[in-house]
Amino acid sequence: MIFTELRFVALFLGCWISFFAVPRRFRAAVLASWGAAFYAIYAGWFFLAVVALVIVAFFSGSRWVAWIAGLATVALLVYFKASLLVPLGFSYLAFELLHVIIERRRGRIAELALVDLFAFIFFAPARIAGPIKRYPAFVAAVRDAEPSSANVYAGLLRILLGLAKKFFLADVLALTVAERAYVSSTKHAWIIILAFSLQIFFDFSAYSDIAIGLARTLGIALPENFRAPYFARNIREFWDRWHITLSHWVRDYVFTPVGRTLFRTSLRKTPAVIAVISYVVTFTIVGAWHGLTPAFLLWGVYHGALLSLYHVVRLKTPASIADRPWYGGRAARAFGVAFTFLCVTIGWVPFMLPLPKAAKFLALMFGAAR
Amino acid sequence: MKRRLLFLLLWLVLFDRAVPRLLDAAERRHYEGTTVFRFENSDLFGLGPFVDYLREHPRHERRRVVFFGNSMLFGYFLAPEQAIPAQYQRFAGDARVYNAAINGQELGTGYLVGKDILDDVDVLYVQVIGETANPLLPSLIPVSDADLLRFDLERPERAERRLQSWLGRVWQMYRVNYRMQAALFGTSARIYVYMHKRDLARLFHVRTLQPESFPPANGGISLRAPRRPGVAPVPTERRRIMGDLARLARARGKRVVFIEFEWDNSPHDDAEVGAFNAAFAPSAEIVIVRLPKSLTIDGEHPIPAAAAQIAEALARHEREAAR
Repeated sequence: MIFTELRFVALFLGCWISFFAVPRRFRAAVLASWGAAFYAIYAGWFFLAVVALVIVAFFSGSRWVAWIAGLATVALLVYFKASLLVPLGFSYLAFELLHVIIERRRGRIAELALVDLFAFIFFAPARIAGPIKRYPAFVAAVRDAEPSSANVYAGLLRILLGLAKKFFLADVLALTVAERAYVSSTKHAWIIILAFSLQIFFDFSAYSDIAIGLARTLGIALPENFRAPYFARNIREFWDRWHITLSHWVRDYVFTPVGRTLFRTSLRKTPAVIAVISYVVTFTIVGAWHGLTPAFLLWGVYHGALLSLYHVVRLKTPASIADRPWYGGRAARAFGVAFTFLCVTIGWVPFMLPLPKAAKFLALMFGAAR
Repeated sequence: MKRRLLFLLLWLVLFDRAVPRLLDAAERRHYEGTTVFRFENSDLFGLGPFVDYLREHPRHERRRVVFFGNSMLFGYFLAPEQAIPAQYQRFAGDARVYNAAINGQELGTGYLVGKDILDDVDVLYVQVIGETANPLLPSLIPVSDADLLRFDLERPERAERRLQSWLGRVWQMYRVNYRMQAALFGTSARIYVYMHKRDLARLFHVRTLQPESFPPANGGISLRAPRRPGVAPVPTERRRIMGDLARLARARGKRVVFIEFEWDNSPHDDAEVGAFNAAFAPSAEIVIVRLPKSLTIDGEHPIPAAAAQIAEALARHEREAAR
């Protein structure tokens, strides 16, 4: 875990001290310098490629440059996702860069300073595993950051929470997940996938906690990434609580544009079809973002299908049922939470295993002999 | 908030002063006690702290016998007290027997660990299988540059090592946290929690690797250590590694016993083994343990009765060698 490596800790301490030691106007430069040093150490030669991408993105005010920067970023992302050897944090970095390029073209980022852009892209705490930041909010947070013992204390507590989640929960659950190599029965398979369901949450949210905690010690608020996702009452709510910064990113830059484009076609008479296509396309991209393998794509399509199904069922539920008191009652909500958790947990199988093994594992979960 | 931060810092400083004494007590109980010594869950974690402890405590009241190998010696499928090293303890008088075997380890790992602890043990048993060394080894035990090259291992990141060493000098708990976990839990804290979770799994009747019962012993194992002076064949890399450890044992007045298991379908060349033994005995010796398939659980790993027979044969051979 990079967060616990002393090289990272030393770099962050250096960054923290100099961040508050320099006048406010140089803070972005401090973050950019330390962040660049961090990325150069951990990502090696790829650091130079990112510098080039950032410089091109800086000139994305011009339409052609924006296209070149966007396509180059996507091409690199696809290339690395296909080879499954992605340089440190590039999945997150690429989406942040695309956000800057798109928002620049949309005119929502009026002023773009190169030093701010470098600080945004190389901000070390969020460079390892997110959260996926937004440029305007980040620049404002850096500008307004105040040194305070309350922030340091709250940040340290959040870091401790993350470390505890990682080492005492996620890493222990990972050992149960490793039993998949000799899964022996239906009951064993269900225990393993339940363990994986919890492990992936504790592991990923731990990284987010540490990133948010580190940033908090600097007085910078990063966006939250998880909000008790396994207590979601339906799959749509789940995606509002799970990897929030990613789901908001695909909502803004994939789902909405795809839906808007389809609405300009003859499909506008059937909005449910537009929603289904938008969900499936969006979540196929979410699957591909995790890795260009059949298993990840299947996981994405599965979630697209679940969201589509939820959308259609919700549309088609007659008011005579939806208006009944039990429909929104406590029991219905508990059922919703349990059913959503079950659907999400079954979906983790292709996330955990490559496709042929995932198929065997699913068969075992549902009673087929090994 | 400032007061809370200062309180936290003060607590860390005070606790740190007590760490060496706490570690000493925990390690004495763990390494010098009477309970069966085996790495929990057969993980590498305990190896570094084990080597560190032996190197820091070279003088000992009881004879030290260390077994190093793979799942055969670890006792895969077996409870700690059923494995070969634990059964050997019954024939070894007051010697402290350590089962330092780890599933999947090969001769290269045994050689590097053996080099590090040879001065601090009386008899070292090394199982002969494969030649490679575990890639994680350089981050666990001291490995020389020449050995890094020989076993194609990567040097741990230098800047990280330097920072760790520096921080370890000012923060005791940081320096000894692996050793403390190994001494308290026999493994890492996470493996310990996992092992206890497995107890919970048994409660729910989830099948685990440990068979409910073992077949009865049918037939017997045999042990031989041929010693025939003659022209030694051109040594393989495996024999070169063994020869290097044997020369080291001779130079330091120690004894290394290499265990080679022989199954029905893998007969050994006694002439070649005999030439090695003639060259290095009594400082180092190869013993061939023949294990009939009928005495194995899965065609490879011994049932408890066979482990007991192997342990007794090794102990008997050791007594004869001492004479």
